[in-house]
Amino acid sequence: MIQDTSTPGAASPAAPGGARRGRRRKEYVAGGRPLWLLSPTLALLVLVIGVPFLIGTYISFFELDQYNLRNWVTAPFVGLKNYADSLNAALLLHSIWVSLAFAVLTTAFSAPIGFLAALAVNTRFRGRGLVRSLFLVPYVLPSFVTATVWRFILRPDGVFNKVLGLHNMQWLIGTNSFWALVLVDIWAAWPFVYMMTLAGLQAIPDELYEAADVDGVTWVKKIVYMVVPQIRHQLLLGLLLSTLNHFNNFTLPFVLFGTPAPNDVLTLQVNIYQTSFQYFRFGLGSAMSVASLILTLIPAFIYLKASRLTAAPGEE
Amino acid sequence: MGRLRKVTLILPLVAASVALAACGSSTSGSTSGSSGKTLTVYVGAQPNYPQQFAQWSKDITAKFKAATGANLQIETYSSASDETTKIQTSIVSGSGPDVYVLGTTFTPVAYGTKGFLTLSAADWTAAGGKSRLLPQTLGMSGPNSSTQIGIPVAMRPFGMIYNTALFKAAGIANPPTTWDELIADAQKLTKNGVYGMAVGYADTYDPWKFIWAFTHQAGGSLVSKDLKTAQLNSPQVVNATTQYFDLLTKDKVVDPASAGWKDADAMAAFASGKAAIFPMATGTAINTLDGASSAVKGQYAFAPLPGVGPGMQSLPAGADPAQTIVSGDNLAIASYTKNKDLALAYAKLSTDTAMQVEQFNLFGNLPTNQQALDQVLKDNPKLAPFADAEKGSTPTAFTGAFADIENGLANVVVQSLPGLAKGTYDVSAVKSLLDAANSKAQQSLNRAGQ
Amino acid sequence: MSAISAPAPASRRRKRIVREPQRLLPRWLQVVVITLLMLMLLPVVYMLIISVSPDLDAASAKLWPSQFMWSNYLKVFTTVDLGRGLMNSFIASFSAALIATIFGLGAAYVLTRFRFRGRAPLLSSLVGLQAVPATMIILPLFVVFSSVGSALGVQIIGSRPALIVTYLTFAIPFSTWLLVTNMRQIPTTYEEAAMIDGVTRFGALRRIIFPLMVPGMVVAMVFALLVGWNDVLFASVLTNPDTQTAAIQLQVFANSTDGGVLPLYGQLMAASLISAAPVVVLYMIFQRQLVGGLTAGGDKG
Repeated sequence: MIQDTSTPGAASPAAPGGARRGRRRKEYVAGGRPLWLLSPTLALLVLVIGVPFLIGTYISFFELDQYNLRNWVTAPFVGLKNYADSLNAALLLHSIWVSLAFAVLTTAFSAPIGFLAALAVNTRFRGRGLVRSLFLVPYVLPSFVTATVWRFILRPDGVFNKVLGLHNMQWLIGTNSFWALVLVDIWAAWPFVYMMTLAGLQAIPDELYEAADVDGVTWVKKIVYMVVPQIRHQLLLGLLLSTLNHFNNFTLPFVLFGTPAPNDVLTLQVNIYQTSFQYFRFGLGSAMSVASLILTLIPAFIYLKASRLTAAPGEE
Repeated sequence: MGRLRKVTLILPLVAASVALAACGSSTSGSTSGSSGKTLTVYVGAQPNYPQQFAQWSKDITAKFKAATGANLQIETYSSASDETTKIQTSIVSGSGPDVYVLGTTFTPVAYGTKGFLTLSAADWTAAGGKSRLLPQTLGMSGPNSSTQIGIPVAMRPFGMIYNTALFKAAGIANPPTTWDELIADAQKLTKNGVYGMAVGYADTYDPWKFIWAFTHQAGGSLVSKDLKTAQLNSPQVVNATTQYFDLLTKDKVVDPASAGWKDADAMAAFASGKAAIFPMATGTAINTLDGASSAVKGQYAFAPLPGVGPGMQSLPAGADPAQTIVSGDNLAIASYTKNKDLALAYAKLSTDTAMQVEQFNLFGNLPTNQQALDQVLKDNPKLAPFADAEKGSTPTAFTGAFADIENGLANVVVQSLPGLAKGTYDVSAVKSLLDAANSKAQQSLNRAGQ
Repeated sequence: MSAISAPAPASRRRKRIVREPQRLLPRWLQVVVITLLMLMLLPVVYMLIISVSPDLDAASAKLWPSQFMWSNYLKVFTTVDLGRGLMNSFIASFSAALIATIFGLGAAYVLTRFRFRGRAPLLSSLVGLQAVPATMIILPLFVVFSSVGSALGVQIIGSRPALIVTYLTFAIPFSTWLLVTNMRQIPTTYEEAAMIDGVTRFGALRRIIFPLMVPGMVVAMVFALLVGWNDVLFASVLTNPDTQTAAIQLQVFANSTDGGVLPLYGQLMAASLISAAPVVVLYMIFQRQLVGGLTAGGDKG
């Protein structure tokens, strides 16, 4: 990166200690690093996600259902049966495939929209504040409302068909339902990348923009060679998080299609919900969660590594 | 820099005020009654009747206080899935509301969790006694008459609504009493862009009720009498499912678009005069039918659904009329409650004649209390068909696996919708979907037996 | 900003080019993009129409109401206690957002400025935790809260802190990550220079880093705010009538019991628009911080 003056190695000024104490910063700085700033974050994550996740994992080895819910510690131990069931009977792989296709497609469409939107409002113009805020509206509406509105719009005799002149086209059942889900989620989620990009753009110093203008490069080149490298971390992170968010979106398909969901839109989250809370098979639901989590985190971690998002200071 | 400074100033201020507000309300939130006790009841929200709900809350709280000296806290849920989740989390943690208002088809599932009190004879007496309640409404209180968890407080049988103007124009004098008649009438009514019936095939709650009714009317059932064997792939159920689909594909008495309709879409079609019969209605539909921009105001009437299934002249021996499921609300008391006596006192209060009549006047829920029902019907002859429907009601199977059965049937319909939208269905596909639903239901029944 | 009025008319054209270094799209494309995106807001316009239509008109997909039901905007406050719901939502979401942003800032500072063992795994696990399905967590979380509650002898379920802590936890990984990426953009030379001048580390953090991080913090806060503002899953089991949030109340309007009762579509849309408004307005106020090209001193006003 252009403004990164640091170079990998012991003399790196990346750690401020280096500036003070020179080469042996590691030993010297240890006490001065305010690592405790991380502790509240860690404590909360353990309490609210870590512990429940472990309980969930524990449950996944038991047949916890409506008949022993009241005394859940007495649920019979069934070993890996729930995991076998998730692969065979519970359509887990199908759901993972649906969720994955949905998440990737939605991200692929919504990211460019959000990126362009951020670029478009980076210049001052009259009413920019209003436009910037209005862009946020689809994202600010509760998913539950978004889904209700779109369920309305996409009904066989709804406004969408009316406006496009399609007669009784079915958007909410069959294969079309998948595309309806993608469409609605793109509509609701593009402001996510828009906001990420906007935040990144603000940290680009004016000097860089001006330098590019003085060189007289085209706007495409300015974006590709100057802007994108500057905010690539935000973009890479935005792509990852947006994919994960779409993957884990529960409310949208749940309200849009209701339950039981058509198989074409039986996303993982809806499947887990149906299994756990409607069929009362909490053990199976937990097993599905754990299995799917492992399956999704492998590519996510590979991505993190490959994109060097987790690279240490000065290691870029 | 000015703007930045403003932000750095604003943030702590907002934070402080938020923190203050949080503290302030948490102290005021703690409740302590005069006698130190509070009973928490969990009831369905009544968004259509906000003032009425406020009125009801006020009245029952005052009466409860007068009768027991304790306080009543009323919590509401907005949807069935909301309630299910709440019950599940409460049961697993052993804390939550004392009394739940359960839908009748959910009562067996609640019973299966063993999270609710089985009422002894003494409990029933404390709750006002069984004898004052309409016997049919007790059909979903428990697996048998000596083991019951539910105290019926509201009756909501299903019936049909028909458009009297359209019936008259088509020369149909009386509402049909067999499904064949109903379908024939509907065919007569289907013309000029109006359809005979409005059915929400894509609804979550509606479709299984048709399949259930047709099955029973053919002498079948979804579960064996001993509640051990699932029969979702029995010939009667397969037949019932195809008969339900036939309304669209063969009889062509419903809008082809209804393959994608929810219940509300079907209602909208009926209320705007585009369909002549709305088959799965409760008395509470009056609110919509008499509401703003309704095209059927003053030209609709209720009737019980036919008690004879499609393709039959009369009910075969041993078959149930199944004109409606036993539908309505039961009170059930959580077994973790520390306020059992108060809970029973609340049940007594809710099922007495005065509260039952008030509940009808405010929300349109029919009373389960015999005396209250007589009084209500005398004042509202329009609703008499629902009382008749209740007489022809058949209880659904009382098993903890009923959630699997209901969801299983719903899933069969949902997965058949794409074909239905094209005006066709594949019997073998329906069969294999029913097979899958059956094996899930069977597994659940097996686990119930353990 | 006052500088805008300064340039002499003669040099206006040239000036504009220089004054708009942040222009990234040619004007025509900018106009096209903004116009298209504004068109995407049509469903919101449709919501406005539904919000003043009779429910039956909405249900039968009429594009224009047969009569205007402005009263819906008043009714929503009596059908449910929407005023209290909005207050509850605001307190829970805003507290969570604020704390998440502050914790996130601290964590991001440590994670971008220091090397230590476990740094990269920690960053990765933040993403991992974000991916844990909420539907899996909800039942165990309830058990955890209720056991902690009974161990401490306080009612945690239904209390506001429980809700705040939950939202906070789901907001933290994201705010941390977002702020990490933003902080990386800020050259370490800035604070080093200050620290050589004798400013303490926290002085540098406050005076150098903080101003430069404001845009990122605004965005992080909006996202964190929305975690709580839009949540229905956790709020539906973790709140009681006193702490119920607006998102939960919205569901009441859509409540369609079977049997042919129409949901209150008009009130649902009215209530949704009302509940979306505070976030948009808040953002409108704070978006003024999203101005580009802050320079080293952080002084551009």
